[in-house]
Amino acid sequence: MFKKLIEESTGKSPWLFHINAVFCNGCDIELVSVLTPRYDAERLGFQLAGSPRHADIVVVTGPITRQSLNRVLRTIEQVPEPRCIVTMGSCPQSGNVFRGSYAIAGPLSKYVHVDVDVAGCTPKPEAVIDGLALAAKILREKRRAMN
Amino acid sequence: MTMFLNALLFLGYILIYPGFLFCFVVGMLLSGIDRKLVARMQKRVGPPICQPFYDFFKLLGKETIIPAAANRTVYLLAPLLGLAALVTIQVLIPVFRFTAFSGVADVIVILYLLLIPALATIMGAAASGSPYAGVGLSREMVTILACELPLLMVLLAVAKSVGNAMGTGLCFSLSEIAAYQSAHGSLLLRPSMIPAALAFLLVIPGETGSHPFDAAEAETEICEGMLAEYSGKPLGVYKLSHAIKLLTMTSLFVALFLGGLGTGVTALDALIHVALCAAVTVVTVSFVHAITARLRIEQIFKFYWTVVAGLALISLVLAWFGL
Repeated sequence: MFKKLIEESTGKSPWLFHINAVFCNGCDIELVSVLTPRYDAERLGFQLAGSPRHADIVVVTGPITRQSLNRVLRTIEQVPEPRCIVTMGSCPQSGNVFRGSYAIAGPLSKYVHVDVDVAGCTPKPEAVIDGLALAAKILREKRRAMN
Repeated sequence: MTMFLNALLFLGYILIYPGFLFCFVVGMLLSGIDRKLVARMQKRVGPPICQPFYDFFKLLGKETIIPAAANRTVYLLAPLLGLAALVTIQVLIPVFRFTAFSGVADVIVILYLLLIPALATIMGAAASGSPYAGVGLSREMVTILACELPLLMVLLAVAKSVGNAMGTGLCFSLSEIAAYQSAHGSLLLRPSMIPAALAFLLVIPGETGSHPFDAAEAETEICEGMLAEYSGKPLGVYKLSHAIKLLTMTSLFVALFLGGLGTGVTALDALIHVALCAAVTVVTVSFVHAITARLRIEQIFKFYWTVVAGLALISLVLAWFGL
């Protein structure tokens, strides 16, 4: 019963940590708008965490430059299990307009397992909430697999 | 046989009614009500009232990372120490005329016990070896120091006021204060005590580390400060302690200033007590959270040692002259 309770709770209280892997700031603003009164992701339990150690879901935005790659990977490793990695915007998936640049080390999926991709430049807040809700579901499955 | 029953009763007090279970459920509910109301005031739907329970149980199921630079024992024991101290305070605070352990402790003991959770957090933060925690703990120390003076003056004013009326000089015993109030009406009805009550209401958000006095846990500037390195179960215990501290501080306010509203039936009294605690939480924590922005640490200190201490001083002087 206790395990069931923890599992249920894991899906209902996903805390976000946001990593900006060098970016134009568009997705960052859209991510914040998800938490504002209009969309209010907190009704689903989402909360922005200040430290990666408190987080469950890591949201990565930006095309992963060579400078930021190590820092992104190190930050992701600091998030305790079970964790989910969500990429937001087209940049971390494909490089977007920066594709082919000498400064870009992406896509992120070359280095870590990415659970959810939210595509778009920038994605609509509805799409972001949908992706985050999916990540919360995956989080719950991962917690179940840990038992 | 009676000794055995007494031991069982005491265990029940500590673990169930004014003790751990009561603290856990009511503290989490208060924290949930706070979050929901802040959301409603910001025109959001807000999380469900039981969101803090989800957060707590989720944290129990997470991996606990212990940083390489941390002192393992202190790092893991500090949250438990803080929790134990808070539950102890809750057991000692009378619920109207019901006291689990009457005559054991007075206001001064409560004052000391209130320091322990903050000190435990500071110890844990120092043991975690994180520079963010270092900044956070120095700010927390200033916040404690800022709150302590007004709190002490409020308690002295109450003790003097009740002591004068009973002809004993100073009355520090919480159960006597509760008994006096149930016989002569709440202290809040006395004009000389109103500034002290206001000062206490202003101390509550400072003691619980909520907006605008949360410089020590500023998540946007210093990564949640003292809790920066904590994860998993110890973090869950800290979140629980934070919720219980809401209950403890508001209970203390209800016991000191609103003690005359009890009915004499224990179960009904408990309900009234919880309802009053929720009301005080809404007024002091939620409203203030929704309408203010975070203060800098020196602004917090100045505010407490001038405005709040001034209010408490007015009451203290009035009580000393027997008003």
